[in-house]
Amino acid sequence: MSLIEFLGNHTYRMVLFGTITIGLVAGALGSFAYLRKQSLISDVISHAALPGTLLAFLTAVVVLGADGRNMIALIIGAVIVGTLAVLFANGITRASKIRIDTAMAVSLTVFFGAGMLLMRIIANGAFPGKGGIQDYLFGNASVITIADLTTSITVGALALTLMLLFWKEFSLRTFDPDHSTVLGFRARTIDTLMFTTIVIATVIGVKAVGLVLMVAFVVTPPAAARQWTRTLPGMVALSGLFGAVGSGVGAYLSIVLGKVPTGPLIVLTLFAIFLVSLLFSPRRSIITRAISRTRARAALKRELLLASTPAEGALR
Amino acid sequence: MSFVLGTTLLAVVTALACALPGVFVVLRKNSMLVDAISHAVLPGIVVGYFFAHNLDSPLLILGAALAGLIVVLGSEWLSRTGLLTGDASQGLIFPALFSGGVILVTLNFANVHLDTHAVLVGDLNLAAWQQLIIGGASWGPVYLYVMLAVLLVNLAFLGLFYAKLKVTTFDAQFATSLGIRSGLLNTAFMFLVSVTVTAAFNAAGAILVIALVVVPAATAYLLSTRLSVMIALTTGIAVAGALAGFWLAYVLDAATSAGMSVFYGLVFGVVLVATRLRQRRNRNVREHAVAASQ
Repeated sequence: MSLIEFLGNHTYRMVLFGTITIGLVAGALGSFAYLRKQSLISDVISHAALPGTLLAFLTAVVVLGADGRNMIALIIGAVIVGTLAVLFANGITRASKIRIDTAMAVSLTVFFGAGMLLMRIIANGAFPGKGGIQDYLFGNASVITIADLTTSITVGALALTLMLLFWKEFSLRTFDPDHSTVLGFRARTIDTLMFTTIVIATVIGVKAVGLVLMVAFVVTPPAAARQWTRTLPGMVALSGLFGAVGSGVGAYLSIVLGKVPTGPLIVLTLFAIFLVSLLFSPRRSIITRAISRTRARAALKRELLLASTPAEGALR
Repeated sequence: MSFVLGTTLLAVVTALACALPGVFVVLRKNSMLVDAISHAVLPGIVVGYFFAHNLDSPLLILGAALAGLIVVLGSEWLSRTGLLTGDASQGLIFPALFSGGVILVTLNFANVHLDTHAVLVGDLNLAAWQQLIIGGASWGPVYLYVMLAVLLVNLAFLGLFYAKLKVTTFDAQFATSLGIRSGLLNTAFMFLVSVTVTAAFNAAGAILVIALVVVPAATAYLLSTRLSVMIALTTGIAVAGALAGFWLAYVLDAATSAGMSVFYGLVFGVVLVATRLRQRRNRNVREHAVAASQ
């Protein structure tokens, strides 16, 4: 299939642009989660997005009498409940001796369990438009509409703007939390704001990619980008680029190959980018490190040999 | 054995088999690793099916447990390179494995009844469907005996290696100086967790498995400062939660997994708030005592 043919098809275009948007936003904003050493928080968020979207669906249908598949409503619900799940996990560690990994696991299971109960209630009831609700588990990129795409771009741009506006606060809080407190920044406010952007980055992809795989969109591009750059702006930009390119290539391949689901193929593409970065990046990678280690060893050996055998022409 | 009794027993045995290793999972900061393992189980099952061509084959459990081990060892290797920060190494491996599993299912096994939705959610009632009939009388679900075997293996492992697990968990350096091969012990333990998660998976689904492993132990951890007390409390909470969650699922006509994880979460929340309040009261009493003595 030629590229022109490919782009001529409305569904393909939506899948391509939709996933590229998701990859770009999640990659760029995922950098902060990665540097804060809390990458898996996006796994908690994506699982909590399920009860969030379902609650939004119920509110839209029952209270407002609107269409339950309205993406803006679903995103708002997912962002609110996703943020609650993050606050819950962080709150557990603050209020008790339980550490963050266990707190995240508790938060994830509780919110997802509640989501499963809600899903059952919706499945048993007669609600209009409940048909596509199952897609949130595994995602379905082929149902992205123009309205969805516009919503993703708008919400994603909003999150990226937030990041740029609070760039100084975010980076200080990430690299030097004590200094940022001394300077008078409200740690909790900045944390909440930063996690909100990560929540947005996670939930805009849930409908297309599914909540199980969304974590890969947030974790993999930053991990790959970190191999190539030493600066924060460089890392955020490169990570966004990796996310976008990986998503585009994965989506294209899935359509051209046919029958292969989009989300998993994108994840494997991103993972390939990561592996290449881990092995071959010029400054910090497994191979360059092995080479420099061998060189250093050889140099040391030479020096030791030189020291033990007196140099020619030396005085005796 | 009646159906309800058999299924209830299955719930209790599954909860116990998961919660006991959970004590060490929580103490060793491996909670999210269980999440990663449970997601990686899918490709293992698919590959196991590829070789066995039978959904009831033990090869499926073996394949899945090996996939879990790939996650454990793979993420350990990634963190040891020193090129990644925090928990990212886990978040990198398991989505890739899960993706591979989904692609394999859609490419080769579309006709097989490997419902990815059932894999994620799980339902005890479905797992309990196949009953063990001996001499015309029902002895409860077949799966009950599978989980019972897993529980016994876990008990034996924890009993045999209790002292070593304890010392590697609380003081890894001291354990190394004693000559304990903590790497090997850790691998063996995580393999056991993998097997447990896989076996429980069929009855519980991916999500409840994490809840069953992590939440009772986390709740017990809030209430105890001694390992023996924590283990006893974990056992109690696991059994009570299994019974109550099971009942909740019946009342709401929902999947058992969802009912149980929500109930475990409620218990955890209540205990968290209660211990918080007690701490605050103790502090107030102390401050009053100090003020009165001055």
